[in-house]
This record gives sequence, structure tokens and C-alpha cells, in this order.
Amino acid sequence: MPDQTANNQGATHYNGSPRPVLEVADLHVTFKTEGGLVPAVSGIDFSVAPGKTLAIVGESGSGKSVSSAAVMGLLPPNAEVTGEVLLDGRELIGLSSEELRRIRGNDIALVFQDALSALNPYYSVGWQVAEAYRLHHDVSKKEALKRAVRMLDLVGIPSAEQRAKAYPHEFSGGMRQRVVIAMALVNDPKVLIADEPTTALDVTVQAQIMRLLEDVQAEFGTALVLISHDLGVVAEVADDVLVMYAGRAAERGSVKDLFHRAAHPYSLGLLGAMPRVDLPPRPRLATIPGSPPSPGSITTGCPFQPRCAYAHLVGERCITERPELTPRPGEGYHEAACHLGRRPEVML
Amino acid sequence: MPDLLWFVLRRLFATVLVMLALSLAVYLIFYALPADPARLACGKPCTPDRLEQARHFMQLDQSVIQQYLAFLKGIFAGRTFGEGAAAVQCNAPCFGYSFPLARPVTTLIVDRLPVTLSIAIGAAVLWLLLGVTLGVGAALKRGKLFDRLAVGFALIGIATPSFLLGLLAILVFGFWLNMVPVNGYVPLTESPVDWAWHLITPWLVLATIQAAAYIRLTRAQMLEEMNLDHITTARAKGAGERRVVAVHGLRGVLVPIVTIFGLDLGALLGGAILTEKVFSMQGLGELLISAVGQLDVAVVVGVTLFSAFLVILANLVVDVVHGVLDPRVGHA
Repeated sequence: MPDQTANNQGATHYNGSPRPVLEVADLHVTFKTEGGLVPAVSGIDFSVAPGKTLAIVGESGSGKSVSSAAVMGLLPPNAEVTGEVLLDGRELIGLSSEELRRIRGNDIALVFQDALSALNPYYSVGWQVAEAYRLHHDVSKKEALKRAVRMLDLVGIPSAEQRAKAYPHEFSGGMRQRVVIAMALVNDPKVLIADEPTTALDVTVQAQIMRLLEDVQAEFGTALVLISHDLGVVAEVADDVLVMYAGRAAERGSVKDLFHRAAHPYSLGLLGAMPRVDLPPRPRLATIPGSPPSPGSITTGCPFQPRCAYAHLVGERCITERPELTPRPGEGYHEAACHLGRRPEVML
Repeated sequence: MPDLLWFVLRRLFATVLVMLALSLAVYLIFYALPADPARLACGKPCTPDRLEQARHFMQLDQSVIQQYLAFLKGIFAGRTFGEGAAAVQCNAPCFGYSFPLARPVTTLIVDRLPVTLSIAIGAAVLWLLLGVTLGVGAALKRGKLFDRLAVGFALIGIATPSFLLGLLAILVFGFWLNMVPVNGYVPLTESPVDWAWHLITPWLVLATIQAAAYIRLTRAQMLEEMNLDHITTARAKGAGERRVVAVHGLRGVLVPIVTIFGLDLGALLGGAILTEKVFSMQGLGELLISAVGQLDVAVVVGVTLFSAFLVILANLVVDVVHGVLDPRVGHA
């Protein structure tokens, strides 16, 4: 198993594992609003290697989507982004808008959650996929459309040549998500960021779309960043997992570490809230009491402390001192940000 | 496309029904008026004999339904008033005959139409350009100085009546600065430069007033449109900001703008009454107003029907264009 430290920079290699194509270090995102500065992401690190899948997990508002938008340079002007975003070793933060434009959709592509609203209702899907290609390649419209049809065919749209002329509203949800994936892949990107790509779909279609993403990844060696709150999907496709809470990393490690040796009470809470068919049925799903803190409201201590079932085992330290990521037993770089040094007793 | 053809045919058929009902309504309203057009035609002094003669000549001695049917027949077959040497011929399509003006209504409308068309189309082009440009600019510079100026301009345009702005424009540009002619119309075929020069002030006045609504509508639509997910998609694909606005943002704004524009233009083509009056231009609006004053029922019916037809036609065009612009709209 690779001995990797996620925060490694430069040309460090782990055994057999390729060098990460996307490395994010100490990423901070702060929004300037009328009510003052609101931190949305407060220093997270992650990296993903070609052909690998990193899942970023967390509740709504934990900063996962903001992180991906920051990587793409897609945040509104009132967002301040600091830290490092290295694509193949090239720093993306601070690039001019034109330089970023050349990277967006070309080296890093995005798959959105809701394919209906992500597609422009006024243009045919073939046109939209072709546009993505033409924005980065100097080809005729006809050639671009040919390429688009090939991509639509590749992602499993039947009779792609005819369907390319159809408009987004004429497709089913699953087919639309395939169109979005074709659009994201048309330039053969190194990194694909999928922001809850299956949330809006039926369960059976979800499985098809995830299989499609896996197939594509295997074929093109794309690095996949999967933003999700569906732990079932994560367990199936991810290599590594980053659990985010209130804009920070709560825990991270390999998918096995997370599912078998979860060390953060929040991760345990998420796992406990997941319906399982392999366990005896419970009268009702476990929930994590309370709700996540609003951004910027917690200044000292552990952000999860007010909801934590184990805080009393630690005491005052959870309120006064913010826990840093520290190594935990596991396959490699398993880390958690919790004062409770040992693995908490499972209280499911 | 056959869908579209059927749609248009169905709508045209409905249009005919609407026009029939409308013309009947106009006839009944004017028949109910206590005034007598024949008395005006008779002149002074008017003997009962002459009045009876005039009434018969103008076919006002028939019942309203008979008159109405004669009107309908005239559209297809033409009409003749009176007999012998004094007879007045109104060729098909005859939409009535104006005795005060001694001309068929069809001729009157055809004569006046170029004036109204010139005013309406010139102003429409200006206000569309002005409204959409300022509206998009205001949306993109939301909260900045440009936005405030554009919104302020729109407020003034909405609050100012057209006759006031027209008179002010004549006063300032016509008399004080002596830059433009203060009234009159020169046909386009006579001198395109003079034509435009005489029309520039009414164009600007109408455009300022109409553009106000377009600035507000465009700004609101654009703000909404630029917040949609597919705009983020376009950026994520690597489209530059200019392309995002022009290709992806504006496209959605176009649909409501075209809708309003078609209806506004259709209404204006029926005659911009106040503007024509202020600038002393002999357009359809002016024709209608003086006809009402003279109890010239034939002209009132003719112009009203023509205006209604333009509005209905504009509606139809808007619906067809809507289907072309928005693939989600079907015509079945």
C-alpha cells in the first residue's frame, strides 16, 4: 500500500502510485459580504492522481462545492481564494482570466448535479458539446459536431447522430446526465470534478451513471474528484475520501480507512446515518443531532463540538482548542482532526 | 414544419372571426350614438328633403344589420353609392367610403400608412437597440454608476407623457437650438435625408418613452439569466465572459423581449395618436381622431379594424417567432 502524505509537494512518489495531477494545499476561501468576511473553506489539502478517485464528503454548506469552484476559478468576484492549486505542478491561483479560461473545460472539467439546469435550453445538445470542443480547438463547426457525436455515442446515447440535434428537454434525466458527461469529457480533461452527479437521478440510473464514470476513467485515465453525500456511492467508487465539516477537513484517508476505521465522530455519524442492508434493520436511521454551524460562527475549539457525542470524554479542550489533523492507524495517511486520540467506541 | 403551417392557418381563421365580431361591435356602437352623419353631410341650410336624400345616398336609411352586411359585401365586391352620374364608386376591397373626405377608406389608409410606418418602425429600431443595450449593460454593472444612470433614465421615460416630451423636444431642438424641423413629413421616396431629418425628433421621443420599459425588462431578465446554472456551465466549459453574455445569457433574454416588442410595434402601427398630433404628421392616428370628430363612421370602422388586424397579426408573428427562439415551445 502506498505510503502517501497527501500534503506532499514536489516530485514525491509513492510506491507505484503515479504523481498527483491535481494538488490542493492550504486552500482558503473567504467571501466578502456586507456583514463582513465569511470563511467558507478554511485550509484544506487534497490531491488526486490520474485514474484515481477522491471523494469529498460532507453536509450541505461544508464547503465541498465551494472548494471545487475555487479550483476551477469559478467563484464570484467577492470570493478571496488563497493557498495552492497545482495542476500538473502549475499554480492556478493568480492566473489571468484568459489563462484560466484555457484550462477550464480543457484540463479540468466539471459535471454538475442537475443536468437539466446545467444545459442551455436554447441550443441542441450536439451544439453544446461541440461548443465545448471548439472553445479549446481550432476546428470547423462541422468537425466539432462530428467529435461531439462521437462523444455522445461513447457515453451511451443511442443513435447519437440524430439525438445530437435534439434539445435538452427532449432527454430523460439519465440521458441528460450522459450529455453533460460527454460535454465534460470532449476535451479529454486530466481532472474531472463531479459535483453530486447522481443526486437528481433514480437509483437505477444512478448506478448506470456511476458505472459510466468509472468506465470513462479507466479508459482515459482521468483523475476524478467526486463530491457527494451518498456514502454508498463513495464506498463503491472512491480510492480516497476527504470528510469536510464547516469548511475544514474532519478526516481523510483511504476508502477502507474511512469505512472500517473511521476516527472522527462526525464520520461515524455519517456512517451511522447511512441505511445498510447488511445489518439487522433498525427502527429508524440514526441522525446527527443539531445542524452544522453557520460559516464563521465558530472561532475557537472544534467546530463539531456542539453536536459531538464524545465531547464529554475529552472535556474543555474541545471548546478551547481546535484539533489539527493528526495521523491515525490505517493503510497510510489516515488522519483525523479530533482531540479524542483513540478510535471512539461506536455508539450506533 | 407542417405543425407550424397548421398553427398559422388555425390562427388566421380565428383572426377572421375576431375581426368580424370587432367590426360588428364598432358598427353597433356608432349606430347607438345620437348624432346623425347625414346631417353633417347635408350642410346648412338643410331641408328635410335634402337630409332624406343624403341619408339615402349614404345608405343610412337601412337597418344597422343591412348596413353591416353591405359593408361586408363591399370588402369582396365593392360598393356603389347613389345612381347615375352622381354615383360614387368604391372598388373592392372596399372598407367603406368617407363622405366628409370624399375618398374610399382603403385609399385613405393606404395614403396615411407610410407616415405611421415611418414613425413606428424607426422608433422601434431605436428603442430596441437603446433598451436592450442599456438593460444588458445595467445588469452586468449591477449597482455601479452605469446601472443607476440607466435605471434613472428608465424611470424618467416611464414617468413622462409622450406629448410633454414631444413638445419639450420641439421647443429645445426645433426652436431654441434650431437643429431639426418642428413638424411635417417628407416621403422617403422624395428625399431619404429629409425624411429621416423630419422624423428624427418623433423617433427619439417615442424611443425614449418606450425604451424605458425595455431597459427594465432586459435588466431584470439578464440578472435572472446570468444566475442560472447553464451560465456556470458555459464558464466551466471555458467560454470567455463576452461569449457567456452574448451567446448564453442574451439568448434567454431574447424571448420575452421579442414578445413585448411584437405587441408594442403592432399597437404603434395602428397610429401613434399623440406623437402624430404633436408633430403634425398625417398618419393613421391623426386620421382616426379627426374621423371621430366628424362622425365619419366608415373611417373609424376602417382604421379600428386595420389597427386590430395589426395587433392580431403581431400576436401571431410573436407566437411563431417564440417557437423558433425557444425549442421548448411547441405549435401543435
